[in-house]
Amino acid sequence: MTSTTDTTTIEILPTEPTDTTETTAADASVAVRATQLSKRYGNLLAVNGLDLTVPRGSIFGLIGPNGAGKSTTFAMMSSLLLPTSGRIVVMGADPSRKPRTVRRRMGYMPDNLGVYDNLRVDEYLEFFAASYGIARTEWTDLVDGLLELVDLSVKRTAMVNSLSRGMKQRLSLARALVHDPELLVLDEPASGLDPRARVELRELLKTLNGMGKTIIISSHILSELEEMCTDVAIMEAGKLLAAGPPRQILERLGGARNVRVRFANGASEAFSVADDAEQSALLRRLVVEEGRDVVEFVEESGGLEQLFMSLTEGIVQ
Amino acid sequence: MMMNPVLSRELRERMRTGRAFVVVGIFLSLLTLTAYLVYQGSTTTGDISADLARQTRLGRDLYEWVLFVMLALVLFFVPALTAGAIAGERERQTLLPLQVTLLRPRSILVGKVLAGSSFMLLLLFASLPVMMVAYLLGGIRPLDGLKGVGIICVIAILLTLMVTALSALTRRVQTATLLAYGFTALLVLLGPLLYLTMSVADGSEGNDVENPPALLLALNPITIVADAAAGDNTSNSGFSSNNPLEWARSGVIKAKSLNDDSWFAWFPDDNFRAQFRVEGKDDGFPAWALGVVGLADLAALLSFLAVRRLRTPAETER
Ligand SMILES: Nc1ncnc2c1ncn2[C@@H]1O[C@H](COP(=O)(O)OP(=O)(O)OP(=O)(O)O)[C@@H](O)[C@H]1O
Ligand SMILES: [Mg+2]
Repeated sequence: MTSTTDTTTIEILPTEPTDTTETTAADASVAVRATQLSKRYGNLLAVNGLDLTVPRGSIFGLIGPNGAGKSTTFAMMSSLLLPTSGRIVVMGADPSRKPRTVRRRMGYMPDNLGVYDNLRVDEYLEFFAASYGIARTEWTDLVDGLLELVDLSVKRTAMVNSLSRGMKQRLSLARALVHDPELLVLDEPASGLDPRARVELRELLKTLNGMGKTIIISSHILSELEEMCTDVAIMEAGKLLAAGPPRQILERLGGARNVRVRFANGASEAFSVADDAEQSALLRRLVVEEGRDVVEFVEESGGLEQLFMSLTEGIVQ
Repeated sequence: MMMNPVLSRELRERMRTGRAFVVVGIFLSLLTLTAYLVYQGSTTTGDISADLARQTRLGRDLYEWVLFVMLALVLFFVPALTAGAIAGERERQTLLPLQVTLLRPRSILVGKVLAGSSFMLLLLFASLPVMMVAYLLGGIRPLDGLKGVGIICVIAILLTLMVTALSALTRRVQTATLLAYGFTALLVLLGPLLYLTMSVADGSEGNDVENPPALLLALNPITIVADAAAGDNTSNSGFSSNNPLEWARSGVIKAKSLNDDSWFAWFPDDNFRAQFRVEGKDDGFPAWALGVVGLADLAALLSFLAVRRLRTPAETER
């Protein structure tokens, strides 16, 4: 029950007058914490009292329909945008007050991929290495490593604007990794990618996560996030609708899952279950109690998709 | 000390496009054409080699015409080449990734300005050979030539700074370009226009305090160059030159005769117009230097606004 104690401590800390937004013991397990975070554009509350906790070492998915406020939240996380109210702490520092501390620890990939017209891939990465103050002597090895990681080594001397969209996206990811940040904030990195490129991106993100990096990712491709993310948050119209491990959200919100079962005789049947316990009970019943020849037992993908559709109302602000 | 990353990237990009060479080519051909036309215009009226004074005058004219065309090219090319400096990054969405790096807003601005002005300086160096012709004709002293080109360099750098700063304040390249040209036009025309309207409104034409201040004319790039280029070689030629810088000087002299309020010195090196110098009064700060300081102040103000605009985190995304 130590984890519960931890959580309680964290919840209390921000209200203490001595709080300085700098790293505290409790922050060691938290990569990003938003508290009543809001952003107002004129009459529009793009982000509305968002409470969010991203655990360190997680792959955190932020899901929401167009205009939900995902990019706005990311921009506040990335020290680009000042919150209207509330606060956010990223890797132990407040981006509004210590933007450079946050920038050192975080790599940001915006949803738009702007690239320069007359620059080579290696020069592009070197430019950002220079912008992060990395010494020139380290550039070659750094660029080699990054291109290897995102599988763009063959394009090393190609012009940036000649790359395909998927390649630009990977280059953009490499750029966000130039200063070896502990946290990656990726705004819809999979948009516009073909299925193979998506799978490759997912694998790459898992590799990066395995290297100890916390990854925050927004996407519309829910099934993908469900498979990859350790935690997700669903938001709409600037508000948080649900947050937690995907499985847990599904269960807590009672989102029924569909299980499709194919039998040896070619017949196929769909079942609805509430949670893991019910799902394993179903399998036991079919195989052990009823003795049927089950050849395939699949949980239908789109569990989150369904949950998402049932949670969000298609509110357009 | 590391080279400004924005500067090295810009230089690399510029040299790669070849646009740089096209612009240098245009610049040089226009200057050469100017020199040729001035030379032609002068030689058709008589045998020039027979008359040293006329040859000197030709050299002088050539020098001032070339300076004027250089200035005109600077006023035209600086907005064209630098208006998109930062607005273009915004438009292509390359600014945000830059703003989350450790690069400071002023480094972004400085990198852009250095890239833009190093290019302008390249243009000006490329035009030095044309200047040599004027020197060989005997119209100018080497120091005059350097002073003229130097002052145009300074104006080019300050204008690049101002246009880049304006670019940081805008979102679209198109807006930035319009703004840059509008601003440059104001810089050249506002002073004289204000002056003219004020003197029309006054109408008395006498030397009285009602006349508009000659200071209005000092901030102008053309009068700055005209003032800085006024050397003492015209003094013994006996011929008056005929070129835009000379016209600008005549305008200033007329203004000065109407209202001699300037606490700074116009044409301090010009013996020919010593008649306009009031003893003890015109030995002050040279007018061209005052103009340069004025432009520098304006540039500093705009840069301050630009850096503030580039600073993140901000209220809205920039
Ligand atoms: N600079 C701005 N000025 C005014 N309104 C803005 C601005 N930026 C975003 N908004 C508004 O804020 C809301 C949230 O936008 P945001 O880009 O954060 O949504 P999103 O979840 O990223 O959407 P998408 O999935 O389409 O990328 C939208 O209604 C948008 O119109
Ligand atoms: Mg978005």
